[in-house]
Amino acid sequence: MVAVIEHIGRSTLNISSTLRDTLSFSFRIIRKMFNRETYNPAMRAVLINQIYYTSVQILPLFLLASILIGSLLIGIVFQIIKDMGLAELTGRILMGFVVTELSPMITVLLITLRSSSAMNTEIAVMKVNNEINTLLRFNINLSNYLFLPRIINGIISVVLLSSLFSIVVLASGMLFSKLIFGMSLDAYTILILNSATFSDIVILFLKCSAFGFFITLIPIQCGLNATNELTSIPIAVLHGMVKVFITIITIEVLSLIIRFI
Amino acid sequence: MPLISNLDVYGNIALIRQCHEHLPTNEARRLVEGYLRRYALERIASKRDPALTDEERFRVMLLRAIMVKDPVLVINQPFKIMHYGKDLGFFDDTLKVIDDSFKECYIFDLTWNKDRYRMSDAP
Repeated sequence: MVAVIEHIGRSTLNISSTLRDTLSFSFRIIRKMFNRETYNPAMRAVLINQIYYTSVQILPLFLLASILIGSLLIGIVFQIIKDMGLAELTGRILMGFVVTELSPMITVLLITLRSSSAMNTEIAVMKVNNEINTLLRFNINLSNYLFLPRIINGIISVVLLSSLFSIVVLASGMLFSKLIFGMSLDAYTILILNSATFSDIVILFLKCSAFGFFITLIPIQCGLNATNELTSIPIAVLHGMVKVFITIITIEVLSLIIRFI
Repeated sequence: MPLISNLDVYGNIALIRQCHEHLPTNEARRLVEGYLRRYALERIASKRDPALTDEERFRVMLLRAIMVKDPVLVINQPFKIMHYGKDLGFFDDTLKVIDDSFKECYIFDLTWNKDRYRMSDAP
């Protein structure tokens, strides 16, 4: 019994200490984000490279995935709506579920699989190779040069790619609404515009920003926890990825709670 | 101190000035090209660490070191950095090329390497 209580206590302390570290790291990064001094030429170059690697290189795969998943999903959803006689709710379902929930989730999963794991490994390898110490010895601010460009890139990439996914899905919706409901382009556009609420769009933007922020911040933080041994790299990546997935679920649940309050 | 593996030679050398003095990209590129030209190494500007020879790596590390303000070079066991045999002449020549860019240079090595520095125990 004592062992169980000790285990619960230890786990609680570990979780609260991890949460405290992540939040204090987040506040430090957010403060830097709004400081003009942070944006030196080296930082801007890293930011541009990161945006290229995360948002541009992935475009062909992302577009293909968006068209396949988006079209199939819209086709199925529209067919179910028709069978259940809920045609008047088409716009609300499209905006409320597909655009505000599904687009950010698929985008964030794709970026996490591709870029977050790469960032986690990159930082861990730099730590093992003593490159982080080299930067510190040359008095180069790690937050400004190494962390902030990756985190800003995360926010920009998730917001932009999620918007792109939504556009692809809405375009597919246009096609399927014509095929299944015989709806004209004008009627479809009016339906979508009437279903879009300002609060939904604000929550969508904030959710995408939060996703982008944490799926880059947590891998960086976990990469820094690597020791000087090569074997610590996979451990750092594993911990980072688990924490990222827990964070994605937490943000999703919080956004749902906020939407339905 | 190793070179940063995700940066090319230009990035490694320019990084310090860009971060400390906010040196614009074009000026940084001109500065780095100027220093590389002294060693006739302009062709390695876009190479990364694994693609460099020991000789090139040593010179890039030196150029990076002189990018700080009022640099004082401290070289620890230079013969260990060069994996194949090099005599002191190589280091002398390399340092002479950039001797206008640093104030002092200290070389530390193990006593059993003193022959390589043409030193003896004689007073």
